Amino acid sequence: MTSTWLSPRAGPAAGSAAPKWRALAPSRFGAIGLAELAPLLVLVGLCVALGLLNPSFFSFRNLVWGVANSAAIPLILAMGATFIILMGSIDLSIEGALSVGTMIVALLCANDSNANNFGWWGPLLALIACTALGLANGLVHVVLRIPSFMATLGVWFVGLGIGTVALGGSEIRVLDRTIRSIAFERVLAFPLAVWIAAAMFFFALFLERKTRFGRYIYAIGGGEDIAALSGVPVKRTRILAFALAGFFNGVAAVLAAAQLGQANTTIANGRLFMTVTAVVVGGTSLSGGWGGIANSLIGVLIVAVLANGMVLLGISPYVHETVQGLMIIAAVALSVRRGRSLIVK
Amino acid sequence: MAGAAAQQVSFGGLADRLRPYTPLFLLVFLIAGVNAAEPGFATLTTLSVVLSDASILFILAAGLTFVIMLGGIDLSVQAAASFASMIVAELLPRVDYAAFPATVLVGLAFGLASGFVHVKLRIPSFIATLAAAGVMTGLSLLMEDGRTVSLLDQGREESAWIAGAWLFGVPNVIVIAALVGAGGMLAQRYTRFGRYSAAIGAGEPAAIAAGIPVDRYKILAFGVSGAFAALAGVVLAARLSSGSPDLASQLLLPAIAAVIVGGTAITGGVGSIGRTVVGALIVSIVRIGMTFVGVDIFAQQIVFGAALIFAVFVTIDRSKIGVLK
Repeated sequence: MTSTWLSPRAGPAAGSAAPKWRALAPSRFGAIGLAELAPLLVLVGLCVALGLLNPSFFSFRNLVWGVANSAAIPLILAMGATFIILMGSIDLSIEGALSVGTMIVALLCANDSNANNFGWWGPLLALIACTALGLANGLVHVVLRIPSFMATLGVWFVGLGIGTVALGGSEIRVLDRTIRSIAFERVLAFPLAVWIAAAMFFFALFLERKTRFGRYIYAIGGGEDIAALSGVPVKRTRILAFALAGFFNGVAAVLAAAQLGQANTTIANGRLFMTVTAVVVGGTSLSGGWGGIANSLIGVLIVAVLANGMVLLGISPYVHETVQGLMIIAAVALSVRRGRSLIVK
Repeated sequence: MAGAAAQQVSFGGLADRLRPYTPLFLLVFLIAGVNAAEPGFATLTTLSVVLSDASILFILAAGLTFVIMLGGIDLSVQAAASFASMIVAELLPRVDYAAFPATVLVGLAFGLASGFVHVKLRIPSFIATLAAAGVMTGLSLLMEDGRTVSLLDQGREESAWIAGAWLFGVPNVIVIAALVGAGGMLAQRYTRFGRYSAAIGAGEPAAIAAGIPVDRYKILAFGVSGAFAALAGVVLAARLSSGSPDLASQLLLPAIAAVIVGGTAITGGVGSIGRTVVGALIVSIVRIGMTFVGVDIFAQQIVFGAALIFAVFVTIDRSKIGVLK
């Protein structure tokens, strides 16, 4: 897109780029840079500090319900968002997809608003609908050639609108006990939701590390023009990635409906912000090509531990959003690889 | 792409000359259309309602226009407006009329801060402003524990000049929007800030090479956006006699839509305040028209989301797009 030689200020930055590159190189090629370990250190530091301030942080009950359980949905959302952000794009439609997905689950399973009782068809259709929304994101972005943040901003509000209209602005409770058990049934001391999130994590990790799709994502994020010249099917991969993100959003929506036992107009509020924060705090670069699924796991845990800690320390929940806002700025600022691209829009 | 380019050359002249006026035609067409469906629409009373609605939207979108023109985006205008409504409601009983300029200054400060974060820390503008929105929303929730602050009698009196009417019953909101529009147009045509905004959006490397202090003007544009968003929040608070942390939360999409539908390209470089005036009118007429015809208020989001994508599709300058992220 732009090259560094254009700027009079790029000189020294370009000079320092070479050693920095090595420091940031993937660990499988040797040295592990400090930058790569930073998110993990932050997580450990945070846990230690919280444990010292409030010993109940390390209680098994808190770790399972306060951290792991509340991290389940953010983790699944972050899996889809990671692939998108790795390509240097963004998916702002997360809240729209969640609103559509939870609405479908609530309206099709046994509920307190209509006589439907379609059992597992509800979650299944929710998954399909959310994947379709993701596919729409990808098609609008790639075929109409609209920047992804604009395409997904549009789809966000289309989804939110569909969800709200179908619910008629009210809240609908899910009465189907099988569906609700997804969230509360315990297997080996952990709620089923945590196991589902873990399965999604390994699925995403597999896609990232062991499939052509995963490699293509990195190639596109690292330099789309070069990837295209090397024969990477850029358009197809992009559309597929957005559809995949839609699928993850769908899984999260089913879990959200099961966990809260209802669908309402504000069920998705704040999810987008939390997801992007988690991915970025984990060390995935917004400019693409750097980071990954494992980073996002750490990022989600940081956000979840921080939120849990603020609750344990009795800090007003209203501060959470402010803290997340400052965190996202700090994380992005630290992860920017200076001297690589001159123009940030 | 090659085919499309050839087509543009052959149709070139006329289509290109007509393109900037498309929004204007759309506006006239919409007024005629809604009036045909509901003959009571094109009366002075209804049009005054439309104009007042469009005025608030325009004030919110005016600063955003500069940001989009130079190729960025500000996703914090609705948070800034809500934050401003809280501040003005808190300050009015304490410092009287000084609350108005103080609130706008706070908006300016937060806008400058997110511009600074975007430019100096090299964070993409949509993330920097998304984060700024989070910070401002958090602060406005924190102020009164998430509650709405009502203006008491004194506050109502002091803000009556905003909510009231002036000559011939023209609501003052419209006058304020007209002043903002006139100021914006003058700034865009006759100041360095205005000229440079378009230049930066059209080609940032060229602007840098030409010696334009790009960073400074970018930060300034975000500051202007924050200040106008705060002004919109003040006007909203005066009209509703209250400040609330989610007062303007529904206005982000209409504000962006107003800028884009008016014909300012999301890729930057092309656009003007005048286009945003037309865009704000279109959005308001569609909004009020839909209510008139009886479309569910929630369904309007679907229409706006789709319309936004379509408008970006039409206004985008394809010749400038290399890699699209």
